[in-house]
Amino acid sequence: MTWFDRVQAARDEGFTFFDFLTAVDLEAEGFEVVLRLWDPLRHKEILLREQVPRDAPSLPTVTDLFKGAGWHERATAEMFGIAFVGHETQRLLLSEAFDGTPLRKDFVLAARVAKRWPGAKEPGESDADLQAPSRRRLQAPGTPKDWGPQ
Amino acid sequence: MTPYEIGLAALRASKEQGPPPRSRGVIALLEENCTVCMLCARECPDWCIEIDSHKETVPPRTERGRPRVLHRLDRFAIDFGLCMWCGICVEVCPFDALFWSPSFEHQTHEAQDLVHEREQLREWLGSVPPPPLLEGTSGT
Repeated sequence: MTWFDRVQAARDEGFTFFDFLTAVDLEAEGFEVVLRLWDPLRHKEILLREQVPRDAPSLPTVTDLFKGAGWHERATAEMFGIAFVGHETQRLLLSEAFDGTPLRKDFVLAARVAKRWPGAKEPGESDADLQAPSRRRLQAPGTPKDWGPQ
Repeated sequence: MTPYEIGLAALRASKEQGPPPRSRGVIALLEENCTVCMLCARECPDWCIEIDSHKETVPPRTERGRPRVLHRLDRFAIDFGLCMWCGICVEVCPFDALFWSPSFEHQTHEAQDLVHEREQLREWLGSVPPPPLLEGTSGT
């Protein structure tokens, strides 16, 4: 069953309320597009997932089923670089000049590179002590080794 | 009552009672409790806490004692322009130096004025509510 057919089947089953659509970066395994629907009568939710490959990721649009999915698809497209075929490609949040896909895990956050991590200082140290290259410094969690002002 | 009337009544009540308990308005600092352990600055996901300190050697108190090294706070600043009110710093502080204050009226016209230095963080202590009472018999 294709992505579109699965969403349509869920809608016909009574999950008529579109909640959100987003994606998860699974790194080597590609991306997982996640869509949540809600059944307002039975008070039940359904989470639909579809894995797409990392190179040239694309899925057919579901805006024909849920018009409200348009914004979510546009945001997911610009943030993860996933194409939603059959849907406008105009950006939602980023400017047209923006280069890159900020929610991919390999995207380098410029703010994290430009700013020095305040936690690098040890107790009893101030900014001036950071100049001393003698000792091994603590690395901010979740940032690669070569990040930050050198 | 219609949903609109319920909402209106709730709004009126909230204006009379002020913010609900445990509201997160701003973070206050009790400097005396801070040991400059750096835990808050390291746990902050937004990197918004800046701490500077220096070491001080205290002479021995007794004749056979040893001199001790203390960490003295020089600067403690929270940038509320970066803060996302997660409260991890308040949770992680091992000596209860940070507190939530429900006071939320600290808007500014300039982004740099959202950096609250230690003097300002101390002032917020005045609006920190007393801790909640212990449950059941746990206090006896």
